[in-house]
Amino acid sequence: MLEINNVSKIYGEGHSQVVALQGVSLKVTQGDFIAIMGPSGSGKSTLLNIIGCLDNLSEGQVVFDGQRIDILNENELVSVRRGRIAYIFQQFHLIPSLNALENVLLPIMFSGIKKNGAGQQAAMDMLRRVGLENRATHKPSELSGGEQQRIAIARALVSNPMLILADEPTGNLDQKTGKQILGLLEELNNDGHTIVMVTHDLEIAKHASQIIVLEDGSIVNRMSSQAEKEQTEE
Amino acid sequence: MKLYRIVLNDVMRRKKRVLYAAFGVVVATMTVIGILTISNAGQSKLLDQLEKYGPNLTVSPAINSIDMQMGDLSLGQLSYGENYIPEDILPEIQQIADSEIRASGIAAGFGPDEKISTLAPKIYINTNINDVKVTVVGIDPMEERKVKTWWVIAEGEYLASSNQVMLGKVAADTLGLKIGDQVSLNGTNVTVAGILAESGSNDDLQVFATLATTQTAFAKEGFISTADIRALCNGCPVETIADAINSNIAGVRAVAVQAVAAAEMGMMNKVNTFMMTLAGITLLVGAFGVINTMMASVNERIRDIGIMRAVGASRNQILKVFIYEAIIIGVIGGIFGYLLGTLLAYIVGPIIFDGIQIAYILTYLPVSLGLATLLAIVATSYPAFRAAKVKVADSFRSM
Repeated sequence: MLEINNVSKIYGEGHSQVVALQGVSLKVTQGDFIAIMGPSGSGKSTLLNIIGCLDNLSEGQVVFDGQRIDILNENELVSVRRGRIAYIFQQFHLIPSLNALENVLLPIMFSGIKKNGAGQQAAMDMLRRVGLENRATHKPSELSGGEQQRIAIARALVSNPMLILADEPTGNLDQKTGKQILGLLEELNNDGHTIVMVTHDLEIAKHASQIIVLEDGSIVNRMSSQAEKEQTEE
Repeated sequence: MKLYRIVLNDVMRRKKRVLYAAFGVVVATMTVIGILTISNAGQSKLLDQLEKYGPNLTVSPAINSIDMQMGDLSLGQLSYGENYIPEDILPEIQQIADSEIRASGIAAGFGPDEKISTLAPKIYINTNINDVKVTVVGIDPMEERKVKTWWVIAEGEYLASSNQVMLGKVAADTLGLKIGDQVSLNGTNVTVAGILAESGSNDDLQVFATLATTQTAFAKEGFISTADIRALCNGCPVETIADAINSNIAGVRAVAVQAVAAAEMGMMNKVNTFMMTLAGITLLVGAFGVINTMMASVNERIRDIGIMRAVGASRNQILKVFIYEAIIIGVIGGIFGYLLGTLLAYIVGPIIFDGIQIAYILTYLPVSLGLATLLAIVATSYPAFRAAKVKVADSFRSM
């Protein structure tokens, strides 16, 4: 579904150049749950942004759904993202002035894929899916961190995307709530959703089926989480 | 749910911020509406005053004189020419006056064949009534009334039909005539229909009959002595009209009067220009204010913009979000700008022009709304354009 070939990303110019990614290659297939791990500054968020075509790259290729997306312009990228790629962020990134339901409605509204009533219905269904249908009219400031993240997940799900990208989805949550969110992601993966998640926490990464370790912008290790689990048990 | 709905909800929840942005629009619109309302009231007051000045132009027979000379010896002047103007050149005079006004582009609101100027012909005849020497003036009653707006009927009624006369106050007293008395105009019997109130002008001494009656009674059919032209408009080109008549029609001399009125009108125009310039500057300052607040709003919401982009908003949709917001700001600004501008006119107007009668002008409400919305949209487009260009990754990184 997604293939990244030899991708590099360099910020800045001249002496102030920072190499964020160097020659990274990665393949994501339908139904994967991949965790990208690494210390902060290792380039994992940059990689995620490139996968989600939120950021452009300096070198290499990104092929998504059979189409090279690294060469597309802004407008073309919008249509690639719409309904196919969804994000879950560490800071939840809900719009504070909109209530829960309106936040979930945003992707539908921007893509215009569902008419008024149907969109509203789909958004309510997603709120129900994350167990927050009774919070529909609450604003983010009136919700707990865990609830906000569940709203964000509902927003990611509402356009039924091929790929869900999660950037430290539990980073701002306490352990217990974090576990619930991870449980929810695992459920989604079991339902067939493809997930790529960035984390610096091995315990969290273990929930994924594949772990990729980045260091200084390069992949230094790849393993199935089963192998990782065995490794730590030794 | 539609995009504008989201924007509306968003705006409702950020009332303070939006009202702050609208403030600049309100101030700018308020000033423009205030100035427009005051200058409108000032103009109508001035027009009222100008009504009293009477005609702008007088057309009279051209009496030319040449110096008679024999060698170095001057033999005095010889005058030649007619004392009367043939009546049939009147349409031509009217046509010249109207076309000059049209050419100057200030005849807005008049149809192509509509008469713009008023032409009041008259004939003066010196005669005796009851053995007293008086001047009988033959007038076109309807047209004369438009020129002599200050005329007040003291007794009886205004001259209406061919068998009537109307007297100046002094003439009535001197002749010892009352309403209903019979008078003979060179053998033609007429009835006294009305007496004018004293005005301190020559009119007090004169006897007015219809033009046709006078012409017939004194055997001057087809002739008039003078014609007053009244073309009251803002900055009427009276001099140009006079020149055009003088160069096109032989035997008449057109003289522009009312220089005072023209000067005052010119002054009013200058004041208007000055005030509109001030309003324009205020508008510009207001625009910068709005640009500033919208820039702040964009920066403040750079994260929101990133989120919207990340969940599938196109650049155009981000632009739309800000333009919708600008429209809301414009509508708020337009309504309050109109209300406060009118209030401003009521307060400041009488200070600027003595005795001015300020009236609110409802047609300025759509003007105000249009102006405010346009201002808000223009001022928002640059920040909105920048907002739309924000890269998603950058918007998150900058946090």
